[in-house]
Amino acid sequence: MTITVVVLLVAPLLAGWLSLVVRRSALLHAINLASMGTIVTAEIAITRTVLRDGSFTTLDQLVYLDALSTFILFIIGVVGSACSFYMRSYMDEQVARGAIAPSRLNLFFFLFHMFLLAMVVATVANSVGVQWVAIEATTLATTFLIAFWRRRESLEAGWKYLILCSVGISLALFGVVLLYYSSLHVLSDASQGLNVTQLLPVADRLNPHVLKLAFIFILVGYGTKVGLVPMHTWLPDAYMEAPAPVVAMLAGVLEVVAAYAILRVRMIVDHAVPFAFAGGLLALLGFASFVTAAFFLLIQHNYKRLFAYSSIEHMGIAMIGFGVGGPLGTFGGLFHLLNHALAKSMAFFAAGNIHRRFHTVEIGDVQGVAMAQPWTATALMISGLALSALPPFAAFASEVQILTALASQGVPGIEFTGTEGMVTVTLSDQFGRVALASVFLVSAVLSFGGLLYRMTGMVWGTPPEGIVRGEVWTLGHLPIILLAGALVGFSLFLPQPIQQLLERAAAILVIQ
Amino acid sequence: MLESVTLIVAQTTVLLAVSPFLVGLIRKVKARLQLRRGASVLQPYADLVKLFQKQPVISTTTSWIFTATPYIVFASTLTAGLLVPTFTSQTPMNFAGNIIALVYLLALGTFFLILAGLDAGSAFGGMGGSREAIVASLTEPAMILSIFAIALTAGSTNLSTVVHKTAVLEGIMTDPSPHLMALAALFIVALAETGRVPVDNPATHLELTMIHEAMVLEYSGRYLALLEWAAGLKLAVFLSLIANVFAPWGIATTMTPAAMAIGLLVYLAKIAALAVAIGVIECMFAKLRLFRVTDLLGVAFILALLGLLFFYILRS
Amino acid sequence: MPVLSSIGSQLVNLCSALLLLTCFAIVAQRRLSACVDLFALQSAFLVLTATLVAYLTGNQHIYIAAALTGVIKVIIIPRVLKKIIDRLNVKRELVMYVNVPAGLLICGGLVMLAFFIAQPIIPLGSLLTRDSLAIALAIVLIGLFTMIARQKAVTQLVGFLVMENGLFLGATAATHGMPLIVELGVFFDVLIAALIAGIYTNRLQDAFDSVNTDRLTILKE
Repeated sequence: MTITVVVLLVAPLLAGWLSLVVRRSALLHAINLASMGTIVTAEIAITRTVLRDGSFTTLDQLVYLDALSTFILFIIGVVGSACSFYMRSYMDEQVARGAIAPSRLNLFFFLFHMFLLAMVVATVANSVGVQWVAIEATTLATTFLIAFWRRRESLEAGWKYLILCSVGISLALFGVVLLYYSSLHVLSDASQGLNVTQLLPVADRLNPHVLKLAFIFILVGYGTKVGLVPMHTWLPDAYMEAPAPVVAMLAGVLEVVAAYAILRVRMIVDHAVPFAFAGGLLALLGFASFVTAAFFLLIQHNYKRLFAYSSIEHMGIAMIGFGVGGPLGTFGGLFHLLNHALAKSMAFFAAGNIHRRFHTVEIGDVQGVAMAQPWTATALMISGLALSALPPFAAFASEVQILTALASQGVPGIEFTGTEGMVTVTLSDQFGRVALASVFLVSAVLSFGGLLYRMTGMVWGTPPEGIVRGEVWTLGHLPIILLAGALVGFSLFLPQPIQQLLERAAAILVIQ
Repeated sequence: MLESVTLIVAQTTVLLAVSPFLVGLIRKVKARLQLRRGASVLQPYADLVKLFQKQPVISTTTSWIFTATPYIVFASTLTAGLLVPTFTSQTPMNFAGNIIALVYLLALGTFFLILAGLDAGSAFGGMGGSREAIVASLTEPAMILSIFAIALTAGSTNLSTVVHKTAVLEGIMTDPSPHLMALAALFIVALAETGRVPVDNPATHLELTMIHEAMVLEYSGRYLALLEWAAGLKLAVFLSLIANVFAPWGIATTMTPAAMAIGLLVYLAKIAALAVAIGVIECMFAKLRLFRVTDLLGVAFILALLGLLFFYILRS
Repeated sequence: MPVLSSIGSQLVNLCSALLLLTCFAIVAQRRLSACVDLFALQSAFLVLTATLVAYLTGNQHIYIAAALTGVIKVIIIPRVLKKIIDRLNVKRELVMYVNVPAGLLICGGLVMLAFFIAQPIIPLGSLLTRDSLAIALAIVLIGLFTMIARQKAVTQLVGFLVMENGLFLGATAATHGMPLIVELGVFFDVLIAALIAGIYTNRLQDAFDSVNTDRLTILKE
């Protein structure tokens, strides 16, 4: 298995290096697709091994792969490949239009590969510290991708993203330091003290107070990357300004990886601290994100920002699922991460196509996409319906699972241990469950209305004067079709390996 | 009783003798750093002698406050000096008061200086007075807090006890952090209170910048001599305070002549070193704008507060 | 040995306190270049602390981390920042969101908060590093505050670097250094982050004719 893992890590590294050397854009795309293909192949091999033999470590304990990290790798592979296909047509058109100099393609691809590499490292790393380094690296790799157009607005978005995420991630590092601090008293070999494989067996002996503090810092830190309210302010700006394929990666994969980092630490924390602590905090942030985003979806008049707030909303839903916990809630949360990644990357592909045709991001100025770009309009409708969590889409299934878990278990009580004694807020009694489920439903209906109302306005009607009608088939449409197929397909029939992966990943997260 | 009187006389003599020397030393250090030869270190003594011989001129618009102020300022500063240990850890007026008395004796002098500045009715006097009032009101809390931080570590507000305990390293908390912060705070306070460079410039008579000089502008003759001497004394008091509270080692802890002699030598060396440090600082930094003085004194206050805070944290 | 470790513990505490003091100086300082100098001084104190800890605990790899801090944070990053400041037409922070005395008071409050948070976990640590964790947290919080209170991109960057210094202090003094691979990664990230932020300030200057981040208000709801 070692070789597979090495291939998985070397492919983007090599591709990044080659991207700096190669001059022809066709070759750049070829390298990108080859690297993506290698990654996906390696992932398939890893998935087979993990499903057959369970988790394993390799490369001198540096790499740890279990069902959960394999599941995240799967999302990276799917969304990454879709992006690579989409980039083929998108970037070529930008170069042809003169929006970017051909030489800057090198930088774009280099940063893209480094971004991918950092995410893969963050996913497979055994050490929580290495994971931190990789997640900070994603910030550094993406900030220039976000500011790629070098307009004043893009610079502003890139700067805000860099500063906010770096600060957030610094707080997370403090959490990692605390985690290490707690492990020093338990583990004899300090140099392995941040490895998940070392921490998990002794997790119940770690000092609970330090772990609580560590989890709060890590939640706030990585929560900034996930875009949870109230650390979300960079997210709409960045999603509005970045090139479409980059946004698809940010929304589809980066958020998932950051959420995964939180879940990893939570696995350890849950052993020593009552389950209610981490779960309560996750659910709290989840609800804050869900409700806030639902409100902003209603008043949004810019379709890229609309999708950005929809991202915040769906990450909030997933966090509620993890917070409620239990087999159902956790499964729902993981499944929701997958569905959101597929639907959101598709939505941003469609948004990128629309922006290239209509040259505006104002919803009011876009009409009649169905006539101007029938393929894109279909993609927009499908992703819109999926993001509104309507049946028959898979997001409906995951959202219902989370809602069921919420209504049956409620949110575990949050306990504040102060110097003056204990304050307990319990939301798992009858009243609390009904109240929370109602809030969930109302927010879901609000976001459904906000999203779908805007989308239908964009799709139907007649396009404004001067907009070319008709759509030429490009390679960029391939990922849209595949993603649409997956979105519809997963709700009807979840392929056996994915089903198994999800169930095992959920089982890892649920503490008996 | 006799011992106590002897001590009072001895310490008064030392303080009075040493204070013009400190002023002269700072001027000399500044001059040498600016590549000038500068006046002799003993010049302030000559200045004082000359001023005492001159006929004072007093404005006809002034009241009794104007003539009384130099005596009050001189007397209060000297009394404050007797509350601070210099060459022995035993202070001559130990029975009369502690740190708080020290702070308010100095404040009394400042108060009368401000009054005298206003009394002469000149524009400069009032301006200097109002500036001095700002500075004094900001330094006072910082000064009290920083000394309290030290007092807490020794468990007493009596300076003699504080210094004695620190000198023999007995019954005190020996953690350096609170000491360090309080020292930094008290040093800034000392610069501000004695009218030194980042806050005031003793060498200027430019109306835009002067604080202390503006208040004493109307004085001449023996009154001016007393005020100048009092200013030197204040400097000596602060330097003794810093030297002995934060690094009392070498001070005479017993009343034997040998210990006293060593104590005196060490004391002179310490305050001379501090005076040299002040001279260097005066050369390195420019005077702050008056509005920025609050920033500097804010730093001093926070440092003192942190010193206090650290004490409690370290003990728990 | 108890005497040595008690003196060592005091020295480590003293160095941490010096780090905290430079933090306050940065908060009170308006001149950009002086802020950078103070950051370099703080990093130098950090090197001293790390070397002390390395010597007292006998952990060899902390020496490596200390040397890296010396090279990156005392020499390279301050130089880069100075270059940037030279290029800019602004030398000092004229308007702050929070004035200096209020800022200092807030930072004093942050120190108290840090100690309050860290109090329950301090007894866990070894004797050598009683307060360093709390001081590290205080430095992180003050760095965060600096980023919020200042408008210039350069001083915000200094605030970020101060945060990193606090984190490194926490990692070194409280846990005797993280695993080497993690520390190397962190150094690499910090260096790249500082360089990237430097590039940004240049681009912001070109695009907005200012490095005042309050000009960055095009994007909003």
